[in-house]
Amino acid sequence: MNCDEVEDILGAYALDALPGELSADVTAHLATCSKHPEAAELRAVAGALAFAAPEAQPSAALKTRLLEALREESEPADAAPRRIGILGWLKPPVRQRAVPYALAGALVIALIALVITNVGGSDEPRRAASSLSGENNAGAVVYELEDGIIVLDAEGLKPLDTAQTYQLWSIASGKPSSLGLIGTAPNGEALAVVRADLNAIESLAVTIEPAGGSIAPTTDPVLEGKV
Amino acid sequence: MSPDLIDPSERNTHREDGDLADGLRRRDPLAMEILYERLGRQAFGLAYRILGDGPSAEDAVQEALLTVWRQADRIDAARGRLNSFVLTLVHHKAIDALRVKRGQQARQISVDFAEVEKVGADFSERVLQSIASGEVRAALTRLPEEQRRPIEMAYYEGLTHLEIAAALDLPLGTVKSRLRLGLEKLRVALRAGSGDELRRS
Ligand SMILES: [Zn+2]
Repeated sequence: MNCDEVEDILGAYALDALPGELSADVTAHLATCSKHPEAAELRAVAGALAFAAPEAQPSAALKTRLLEALREESEPADAAPRRIGILGWLKPPVRQRAVPYALAGALVIALIALVITNVGGSDEPRRAASSLSGENNAGAVVYELEDGIIVLDAEGLKPLDTAQTYQLWSIASGKPSSLGLIGTAPNGEALAVVRADLNAIESLAVTIEPAGGSIAPTTDPVLEGKV
Repeated sequence: MSPDLIDPSERNTHREDGDLADGLRRRDPLAMEILYERLGRQAFGLAYRILGDGPSAEDAVQEALLTVWRQADRIDAARGRLNSFVLTLVHHKAIDALRVKRGQQARQISVDFAEVEKVGADFSERVLQSIASGEVRAALTRLPEEQRRPIEMAYYEGLTHLEIAAALDLPLGTVKSRLRLGLEKLRVALRAGSGDELRRS
């Protein structure tokens, strides 16, 4: 394949619209010829088309299914490193220097609160934290991980049988919307990462629902708190 | 805590994605949850645009994210790259599923990670900036129909240039040049969108 032949089909190549053999020929040519500097950029532009499709909301079941599949493929996870893992998302220097792995839950939560108030400068006001409380020392801390993504870190949740699940709700103008289901560790700890706009929410609540979750809460909250 | 806790200048997205990539490499499910919450709707939107039905689109997203999980050692840490990398995988999976649906052979037997990574690496900063501002959709909409349609058929329907020529009843040469011309226009539009043109010229 010569340079002209490559140029002739470069648009189709960038869009992966060539039969396999032809595409491989172009790739081979580009690997050794420097006369097609626009090839990489056309490919980047073609790749950017992924962002031209409108966003759409998958069913809540997809996340559950995905996380189950991960669990099946992974070593059984220890609850503690998972909780400590949260601190990892709030910047490595803090995690590495200040937080030994053996910290008890309450201390971790206190530290998270401390970390939240300390990370970043004035350019990071969006990391607002909130807390939820319930009976029997059940409680949770909520904070914003990045724009529109929050993490609920709970403890003291009694283990449920497989017929039931914890479900997280946001409440705005008195109306609850599901933010997703929450899995708990045997020790009563739970972490949930969900999308939520804290600015548009008045309060958060956790209820016990039938497995698979409910469209609206069917029981009184076991945890709740204002945002 | 000491005041030198965090240097604000280090708190850029690049660094944050380094953490996310690290988390994926450590096989921390939390990292995948964050990635899912960040990108799930865009990924599903893309797969849905290609496949046209929810269950197949969800399968494509799930397969792509599992591929990321299994091969996390190979991902690039930079934020825009990680996003584009994941979406490239979603695109591959969805197009393969579409071709199977149509009774055609899946074009990629399995996703070639090195190839996907190369595409991700090709994303220049300026294109990424344009992506962030939602510029791509607008630029595509502004293309003349005769260029936009073949590009959409290639990208969202997984058709080869021969199949596009047959479907539109156009000579192959015309399709080749419209694909190229359309991409060139998108490139110019994305550059203009990010202000790069000004810096360059
Ligand atoms: Zn050449």
